[in-house]
Amino acid sequence: MNITALAEALDTAARQGRPLSGGAGGPKDTEEAYAVQEALVARRLARGERLTGFKLGFTSLAKMRQMGVSDLIHGRLTDRMEIPDGGRVDTSGLIHPRVEPEVAFLLGDTLRPGGDPMAAVAAVAPALEVIDSRYHGFRFSLPEVIADNTSAAGYALGTWSAPGDLDNVGVLLELDGRLAETGSTAAILGNPLRALAAAARLAGELEPGTVILAGAATAAVPLPPGTHVRATVAGLGSVSLTTGEAA
Amino acid sequence: MNTVDEAVVSAAERLDTARLTGVPCAPVRELLPPGDLAAAYAVQTVLGERRRAEGRRITGWKIGLTSAAVQTQLGVDRPDFGRLTDDMAVPDGADIPWGAVLQARAEAEVALVLEHDLTHERHTVADVIRATAFALPAVEVVGSRIRDWDITAVDTIADNASSGAYVLGTRPVPLRELELRTAGMVLERQGEPVSTGAGAACLGNPLHAAVWLADTLVRLGHPLRAGDTVLTGALGPMTTVEPGDVLEARIDGLGSVRAAFGRTGREGDTR
Repeated sequence: MNITALAEALDTAARQGRPLSGGAGGPKDTEEAYAVQEALVARRLARGERLTGFKLGFTSLAKMRQMGVSDLIHGRLTDRMEIPDGGRVDTSGLIHPRVEPEVAFLLGDTLRPGGDPMAAVAAVAPALEVIDSRYHGFRFSLPEVIADNTSAAGYALGTWSAPGDLDNVGVLLELDGRLAETGSTAAILGNPLRALAAAARLAGELEPGTVILAGAATAAVPLPPGTHVRATVAGLGSVSLTTGEAA
Repeated sequence: MNTVDEAVVSAAERLDTARLTGVPCAPVRELLPPGDLAAAYAVQTVLGERRRAEGRRITGWKIGLTSAAVQTQLGVDRPDFGRLTDDMAVPDGADIPWGAVLQARAEAEVALVLEHDLTHERHTVADVIRATAFALPAVEVVGSRIRDWDITAVDTIADNASSGAYVLGTRPVPLRELELRTAGMVLERQGEPVSTGAGAACLGNPLHAAVWLADTLVRLGHPLRAGDTVLTGALGPMTTVEPGDVLEARIDGLGSVRAAFGRTGREGDTR
């Protein structure tokens, strides 16, 4: 497999909104897959995007078991992916977007692998993540989803607040004011702080100012055009976005 | 006795036999008029009367089918209810003998304990809040007397809303201290989350389910009374249970409660 070629193919698929077929010719293992992800994100950084943080995937044990994996995966976030809270986002260029409610951490101090995540956290916020696999029908192998920057497409952050107890707070996802999914932050590895510790283990030393999306608290739901989406995390408030009308 | 009455009695007989022998039975929908929820509740009433005749006390009510997903799955547009009796209450963490509840599964819920009757024709959330002495975290151990949980709405209603046993936490919390809609819920087995959710999963708010129950029971002539326990409905997906499991439910603001399952049946139980 050619790392540069797959990175380019995934980049083009995202820019043109045209999905790839998985299967033959994919990365052979997670190590090769992360090399593709790095090459893919390097192309975007070369176009002027700036790295803002990391996201974690497979943070629910049910999901891990479903995928037959035993560890989390991580992807990279850039400034181009950020959607302002309450803002409008054009999803017409995306392939088959979905949205999920999350918790985001903002680091105030360096977090080294094995370091105390709580000590490094400056603030927490409710978050929405838009995902959009560059593979047909969200069908991919574990190395493929890693190469595809873990399906990351966009994210919105609510207001930052001082970190508190997050091991079991309610999470609501509403579409056009109607409840779509309910969950608890306990779905994120039992406590989202564990996801933060995992981020340092997987991605290496994390600098102050880094944003970490800790993983989904509910299943992802399809994100149609012309929809108002709101995530509420008890005690942290809410974050919202609206997708553009269909053309 | 007309044919529906006969059907109700034979459905009750079939369910009770399953309960007593520990052998799940065929669905009772084949005995009752298709989709007849009133007939299904009549079966439940017959079973409830039998329990009372055996000396059991009604300790309260459970509300079921409170999630949009489950209602869609069973093709209904409202919840259902079942009766709780004193023999179904299990202390926090005490072993439930394996097989005591047929085909057991578990879910975490908010329990409300009432200090006033609710006898209006129509109740508001305010009426329910005023009538509630306190809330407790609860694990409901559901079960089905019907083979392989092959149930429709008619089957589960007849089968006392698939109730089995219930465990209440022991620290009462007044409703003024709770935001039930956004309260997080996690049900853990050996420290691993097996079901997660929040208050809104129960009809948008567990109090809405209680309002529905209050109105429904008045219509049926046996209103909610002071002292009743109301299990308001699951806050997340139900989970399967294996012998020896200890499940701990935590509900944000309400604390925790444990349902433990024995590895074997009751002493001297031959099944």
